[in-house]
Amino acid sequence: MMTSQELASYFRESLCIFDLKATTKREALAEMVEAVCAEYEIKDRGLILEMLLNRESLGSTAIGKGVAFPHGRTLAVRDLSIAFARSARGVDFDSTDKKPTHAVFLIIAPPQDRDNLYLQVLGRIVDLIKDDASRERVQAASNYAELKSIIEGQGL
Amino acid sequence: MTDHPARKQDQAKLLVALQDLDHMIRDAEDAKTAAKMQEMGFTMDGIAEIKKARVELTEHIKPQLLNRYQRVSQNYERIVVPVVKDLCTGCFAKVATSFRYEKTAVVTCESCGRILYFT
Repeated sequence: MMTSQELASYFRESLCIFDLKATTKREALAEMVEAVCAEYEIKDRGLILEMLLNRESLGSTAIGKGVAFPHGRTLAVRDLSIAFARSARGVDFDSTDKKPTHAVFLIIAPPQDRDNLYLQVLGRIVDLIKDDASRERVQAASNYAELKSIIEGQGL
Repeated sequence: MTDHPARKQDQAKLLVALQDLDHMIRDAEDAKTAAKMQEMGFTMDGIAEIKKARVELTEHIKPQLLNRYQRVSQNYERIVVPVVKDLCTGCFAKVATSFRYEKTAVVTCESCGRILYFT
């Protein structure tokens, strides 16, 4: 099983946005995809955004309590990539509980992702967020060090 | 018809988008993956929407390329593969460097026949 430290190692400071400007789902995804593409020098950002929007058509990845987990696989990325965004005012992410989303975890993997690593990572993050105390701390995190310590210290 | 970000670009990107959609459909229809997703709290009941998006996307792909895609899919799960360090990541055969400069053509691996994607 993936350790908390292993999970935390996928989070990069440059891919953690603590003042998301977006107010809609599309804008939020675009802002986060932009960060991923800049970090990994990916040229086909449109392909990533389209994949994520298609995934949202399949069913919203905002599963309530102010958190969304947009995810999927696309050939446009070379490695598993995670981005995090926090929005104090909230984003309309078409959440199942109709409430604004304050924390977004974006997980993108290539199709050749061995052992469906992205599903393991997604599962670990969902588990973290299901814990009320951890979720509240994540939603209140204001910097990378804080976020990382929450992920590393979850003790799962 | 919805706007497509790659429509005005090259056909190779449309094939990548098609493969992404096919993987999504396969995951949604795979009982094990769907159960895992449901366990995490995700719903995947919009499969009809995704299939509609696939139909719309294929309308923008040249028929001969779509045929090629379908032909390759009979042999391989990964139809479009990235080229990394001049190697086809499907079969690891060397890809001619000159292919990298093919800006408009869709290039296939001379060894395995998979469609190549230059990242």
